[in-house]
Amino acid sequence: MLAKTNQKAALVVAVIAIVYLLLSFNLPGYSNALIDADVIPKGLGFLLLFFALLLYLDKKNETEADKEKRKISKQHVINLLVVAGMILIYIFLLEMIGFVVMTTVFIFVCSLYLDYKHHVTNVITSVVFSLAIYGLFNYLLKINLPAGILPF
Amino acid sequence: MDAFSGLMSGFQVAFSLEGLLFVFIGVFVGTFIGMMPGLGPISAIAIMIPITYSMDPSIALVMMAGVYYGAIFGGSSSSILLNAPGVAGTVATAFDGYPMAKQGKAGKALAIAAIASFTGGTVSVVLLMLFTPLLSAVAISFGPAEYFALMFLGLTAIASLADGSAIKAFISATLGFMVVTIGIDAQTGTSRFTFGNPNLLEGIDFLVVALGLFALAEVCTLVLNRNEKDDGQSKNIGSLRLSKQDIKEMSGPVSRQSFLGFIIGVLPGAGATIASFIAYITEKKIAKNPEEFGKGSIKGLAAPETANNAATSGAFVPLLSLGIPGSGTTAVLLGAFLVLGVQPGPLLVQDRPEIFWGIIASMYVGNIILLVLNLPLIPYISKILKIPRPLLISLVIIFSLIGVYAISFNTFDLYLLLAFGVIGFFMRMFSFPAAPFILAFILGGMMEQSLRQTLTISNGSFGIFLDKPIALSLIAVGLLTILFPLLKGRRKYKVS
Repeated sequence: MLAKTNQKAALVVAVIAIVYLLLSFNLPGYSNALIDADVIPKGLGFLLLFFALLLYLDKKNETEADKEKRKISKQHVINLLVVAGMILIYIFLLEMIGFVVMTTVFIFVCSLYLDYKHHVTNVITSVVFSLAIYGLFNYLLKINLPAGILPF
Repeated sequence: MDAFSGLMSGFQVAFSLEGLLFVFIGVFVGTFIGMMPGLGPISAIAIMIPITYSMDPSIALVMMAGVYYGAIFGGSSSSILLNAPGVAGTVATAFDGYPMAKQGKAGKALAIAAIASFTGGTVSVVLLMLFTPLLSAVAISFGPAEYFALMFLGLTAIASLADGSAIKAFISATLGFMVVTIGIDAQTGTSRFTFGNPNLLEGIDFLVVALGLFALAEVCTLVLNRNEKDDGQSKNIGSLRLSKQDIKEMSGPVSRQSFLGFIIGVLPGAGATIASFIAYITEKKIAKNPEEFGKGSIKGLAAPETANNAATSGAFVPLLSLGIPGSGTTAVLLGAFLVLGVQPGPLLVQDRPEIFWGIIASMYVGNIILLVLNLPLIPYISKILKIPRPLLISLVIIFSLIGVYAISFNTFDLYLLLAFGVIGFFMRMFSFPAAPFILAFILGGMMEQSLRQTLTISNGSFGIFLDKPIALSLIAVGLLTILFPLLKGRRKYKVS
């Protein structure tokens, strides 16, 4: 049983190191290079493995503050997942629907979900913010954000 | 034309009504653009180039200096107020600037940033004027071995950046280095760890990692704490006034880092980022109470702010004396010069003294205007903090997404951004510091290239470092920096 978080974290790091090393050993060679592209990655992989070992052996106990940081209620996990889901939808639809519509909807819905009760302020902020940023980027900075379904 | 009369004629240009007006416009636009996430000095200058096409070259250059300084200051304010550093050079600013803002001292933090930037910038312009010829000679003698050693030293700084476990800091750094190996290898053209995905061929952009690890991870924390009773403190801007004690506290770091930052800035490739990290670390090392660092220390804020501005002037040394840009920003500036028909290089002082001294003079004026313009604006800039939490969360998310999209125009990078946000959140939960990760990510690519170049020169032998005294001593200092905290930790453990 791995009682301490450090040991568990060390195992995760070790797995990352091993996967990375496997990938490094499979890199194609280039015969003319004296120091080939795989040299540094291999070194990094072994280095990470070494640090993982050090972390595994680290006997230091966690402070209470560290443990406190990881206590998250179920409700909070759901909050984080929903916000992450909204970001995913935003990214997925951004180029299809367009910047202005998506941003307005995102700001309004996300703030509403996070218990922002002033609906009028919310509508004004989301509309003004997305239009202002869009105007600034497209017309002043000449950086074209996706127009999507809107004609301008 | 001697230096004095050259400078005077430069001031004549900069202090003319037209000159002042355009410096003002430059600083204003620069500050504004710099505050946008993802848009730093490089984009600010690039955006302004077309506007200067029809302008008189000396006036245009004066305006560019304003844009440059303004953008750097703007970047610092988003670091301090939102913990969202827009460019690498202001990452270290957030370490103590953001805690200060959270304690209700945002006004003071921004004032310190403005004053430290002003002093660092002004001192280094004087140094630039005095030492351009001398320092450019030293910079030429730097080969790949010395660069590698310099960056190695920068990386070992990680040991001191760690609050808790040094091992966790080294793991973060190694992971950061690994992320930068993704993409096409510059020397052999081998594509590494791309899994056949064309979007990964060019590697992962700095902004994706920085905004993910810092801004989005902060969003997660904000989501968790949004309902906590706010004591009202974190929304206070506080007074801009600095007490005598504050000024005394910042005077040490500011005076030291003005010089150190400048010297680091002169070395091509090193620049503001390394200067700011080294400044932060050296000040933490020599401070009487290093435990205050990271919790809103005035010294910890003043040091990187001074150094990054001093380094940006330092970066002008190779640009003006050799015509070689030492950083991304000076490369874009070189482009701006060329558009205006000015060719920087050893002949610039001889052939076009009015331009050379005009640039120097405009850097002085740009600095002053920056201070005059930004101190009164601070209360308005800090209004960001008055935004209610749920709205702020949504806005920071959107800002991060725009920042990445505006440079890559690619939704793939946005998914990556989200992934790094998740990684950053887990790193926070398990107390792995994010700063070493980002530092290794910034330095890793250059380090790998210079090490491989060095070893190619020496036919694969590490003995080459023994023949290079500068490189050897830099590496030795770096090794000592690593070993010291590890040994210290061991001894403490034994005692307990």
